[in-house]
Amino acid sequence: MSDSTRRAFVKNSAVAAAGMTVAGALVAEQADAKAVATSGPVVAYVRDPRTGEISVMAGERQVRLKDRKLAARLARAAR
Amino acid sequence: MSSHREAPAISRDPVADNTDLYAFVSPDDPGTVTIISNYIPLEAPFGGPNFFEFGPDVRYRINIDNDGDGDANVIYEFAFETTVANADSFLYNSGPILSLESANWNRRQSYSITRISRGRSQVLAENLACPPCNIGPLSTPDYDMLASEAIHSLPGGRTVFAGQRRESFYVDLGSIFDLGNLRPFENLHATFGLPSLAAAPGVNGTDNFSVHSIALKVPKADLTRRGSTPTNASSPDSVVGIWASASRQTATVREPWSGSVHDAGEWMQVSRLGNPLFNEVLVGMGFKDL
Repeated sequence: MSDSTRRAFVKNSAVAAAGMTVAGALVAEQADAKAVATSGPVVAYVRDPRTGEISVMAGERQVRLKDRKLAARLARAAR
Repeated sequence: MSSHREAPAISRDPVADNTDLYAFVSPDDPGTVTIISNYIPLEAPFGGPNFFEFGPDVRYRINIDNDGDGDANVIYEFAFETTVANADSFLYNSGPILSLESANWNRRQSYSITRISRGRSQVLAENLACPPCNIGPLSTPDYDMLASEAIHSLPGGRTVFAGQRRESFYVDLGSIFDLGNLRPFENLHATFGLPSLAAAPGVNGTDNFSVHSIALKVPKADLTRRGSTPTNASSPDSVVGIWASASRQTATVREPWSGSVHDAGEWMQVSRLGNPLFNEVLVGMGFKDL
């Protein structure tokens, strides 16, 4: 279990409903996503598409990526 | 120590809400420590048909600091699972529950307990049965027997129970949160220009409510920094700090097309109880959820 703080959790989850996108297909195109290879759902959370920072979550794993193109594609898909 | 519904966010998530934490040398077995961590505040006994239960999407922890640095050196983690025998029935039970194996009991919980220390996780037990909720004289005619069946002996001289218990914390919640108008002194209380009140006996606001308890009895050596059984109360080896917590995964997605819910990501602490009333009365309303 992470030592992440409650403050971080609240900040991250506060905007999750707006920014979260189920993105299995898109993320699968990224080499970094190999780290979360899974048969279950994959959740990508783009807190701010301009920075390209993406949290990819699968099962109990969570990987942080920095990919502006992918973040932009996800943001466009959510519009 | 106790804090029920101490902050706005956790009051909306009762299954993860730590309400009480007790830790003491076991009176019946002085070589052991008993730790009781309660969750889910103010359960009304009649709260059916979907009675109270632990969150299968919550990780409950009892944390031990044995070297004084504020970090957990020993963790007991509890994960719960819910099983439904008859998905077509809306009933919690279809007849009296006379044992934990009763075919009349439709919705039951079991759990695993894992001990984490020095980066190593050890599953102490799996598939441990919880008792049902105490529903009434027809459904649970011998609740003490059911609760006794749910006390499990574990390897290493440990004992565990997880399930509904009557709230044992005595507090006059009604008068405390009515501007601190404690009943025995309310004839002396400032009334803000309203008619004065007569003094009256205190009322146990939590009487006849329940909580969900995780009770764990472990040898002292399970908790201490060197794995010893200390005999000198003033020795640093005799001192441990204990707190309880609950965590949820970072993300929750509700699928509109299937109605199912998926949790994903790291586990994040959403509730903690160590120092009494810290968040409840010392932290301002605008900061309690941070």
